[in-house]
Amino acid sequence: MLNAPPYPTVLKPYGRALVDLAREREEIVCLSGDLTRQTEVDLFQEEIPARFINAGMAEANMMSMAGALARCGHIPFVHTFGVFATRRPFDQIVNSVAYPNLPVRIVGFMPGVSSPGGPSHQAIEDVAIMRALPNMTVIDVADAVEIRQAVRAIVDLPGPVYLRLKRGEIPVIFGDDHEFSLHHAQVLQEGHDVALMASGMMLASSLAAAAVLETAGVSASVVNIPVIKPIDASTIVRVALGARAVVTAENHTIVGGLGSAVAEVLAEAGLGRRLRRVGLQDTFAEGAQSAAWLFRKYHLTTQDIVDSAWVALDRTDAAPTAPVLVTPLGEYSPV
Amino acid sequence: MVAPHGFGYLGQALSSAELLAALFTGPFRPNTDKFVCSPGHYIIAVFAAAPDLGLLTDADLSSYGEDGSRFEAVGTERSPVVDLTCGSLGQGLSGAIGFALSAQLRGNRDSRVFSLVSDGELEEGQTWEAAMFAAHRGLGNLTVLLDANDSQVDGPVSWVTTVEPIAAKWESFGWAAFDIDGHDPHALTAALSMALDDSRPSIVIARTSTGHGLSCLPDGADGHFIKISPELVEAAVAELETRLA
Repeated sequence: MLNAPPYPTVLKPYGRALVDLAREREEIVCLSGDLTRQTEVDLFQEEIPARFINAGMAEANMMSMAGALARCGHIPFVHTFGVFATRRPFDQIVNSVAYPNLPVRIVGFMPGVSSPGGPSHQAIEDVAIMRALPNMTVIDVADAVEIRQAVRAIVDLPGPVYLRLKRGEIPVIFGDDHEFSLHHAQVLQEGHDVALMASGMMLASSLAAAAVLETAGVSASVVNIPVIKPIDASTIVRVALGARAVVTAENHTIVGGLGSAVAEVLAEAGLGRRLRRVGLQDTFAEGAQSAAWLFRKYHLTTQDIVDSAWVALDRTDAAPTAPVLVTPLGEYSPV
Repeated sequence: MVAPHGFGYLGQALSSAELLAALFTGPFRPNTDKFVCSPGHYIIAVFAAAPDLGLLTDADLSSYGEDGSRFEAVGTERSPVVDLTCGSLGQGLSGAIGFALSAQLRGNRDSRVFSLVSDGELEEGQTWEAAMFAAHRGLGNLTVLLDANDSQVDGPVSWVTTVEPIAAKWESFGWAAFDIDGHDPHALTAALSMALDDSRPSIVIARTSTGHGLSCLPDGADGHFIKISPELVEAAVAELETRLA
């Protein structure tokens, strides 16, 4: 079951889920790189201080320590912004975490252009570089329901995980009956013209784009792909087979992320489906006060998904126009 | 281990031999304590010491550096004897801190963590992130054995950059530092003992040379990765046998 936009929002679903799980699991330890409130683990610090470690603004040391803690039987959840979780300590993730295949959970907040903090704060290639690492599981969830389930789903994975999370108000898109899976992408609606495949923050806009396309007589399937590695190739192939074109949507560069992963699957399956990748077109993102402005400037909107579907279907007439949703304070709508 | 290949990490073994001997014949308890070999290139010295500890056989070492061997020349996850090693320099101390922190979190006051670190690794920023964190958390169960052999790939550490004053740096970070002759077994034993008695994280700065113990090595022999001729191997073996006779 899916809610309809504008979506209700909740605060700190991740922080609460981690504390709840950690009360059951003594092995869980929580590391923060001087971004404790921003990564929702102020809850952990307050409620389970004995297992909270502030590593300070020293990400390289934090990652290598987390690896050694995992060797001792702890399950470290490591928190900072996505940029600082993946760029600065990349060599440490490779050698202290990924190569030894240790159960470190790296949680990177503020994905893609959801931050107007400039290119230094925008994790636009984190999925690509984490996906390139052997042993790493890469997850980009769409809403609060998935977040709560994902925390539980990953805790006992034997290897490392990169979990990419939106910061701040988190939309509730799915109903309580939603089941997050590490193995299966979810087909949220079936269509026969174009397949929209999305992860993370772009799921809401893909659902909105499908509704707009439907008004123009175009039938779209929507696939939610929160687990980008290992990717569910069979679902992607099955849905793509039933459509004439595929559009991927990711809040990330189109180089190396979801769009690339889907392209690899389609090519290896020998499927000649036209593919369009919505995402940052190999560029850094500058000049904003608001995230919504960046989503528009860099073509990450519902309209951009509609337009991409239109082009992928070889349509030469005008594409339908996506309505601008009025979003009350405290609710969330895709741009 | 170096001679059959005609090349290898001989300098590291020569500079750290007494340091590792003092640790392994002294305070180190294999099943209770943790040992980290931060610079993976030093794994040759650990392997060379292991048969005397009953942890490896001489036969094991015959495959060192060969294709398919688990005894790779630069330490890997498959390297035996050590609890942790890493070929990408500067990460081992953070790993050692992870071990020490785990003991602290679990209230284990008995387990000690020893980490071999090289002076070249002092150039890596992560080393200082780690040093700051260890003192802040009061990890008194952690001892660093620093092989200050003044050698890195491009030449002497002191020529590449200035890492001195080493002891004063660590002391200012809140560590106990013991600056000694790293080829003097008595000084090493005494420094390790004082390090273990100190409630702060501690560092034994062992001043060493990559040519120590082999006077047949030519002046300017590469301390990081040496190419060694069969004639020089023969001279080295003869020198060692004469001394031990």
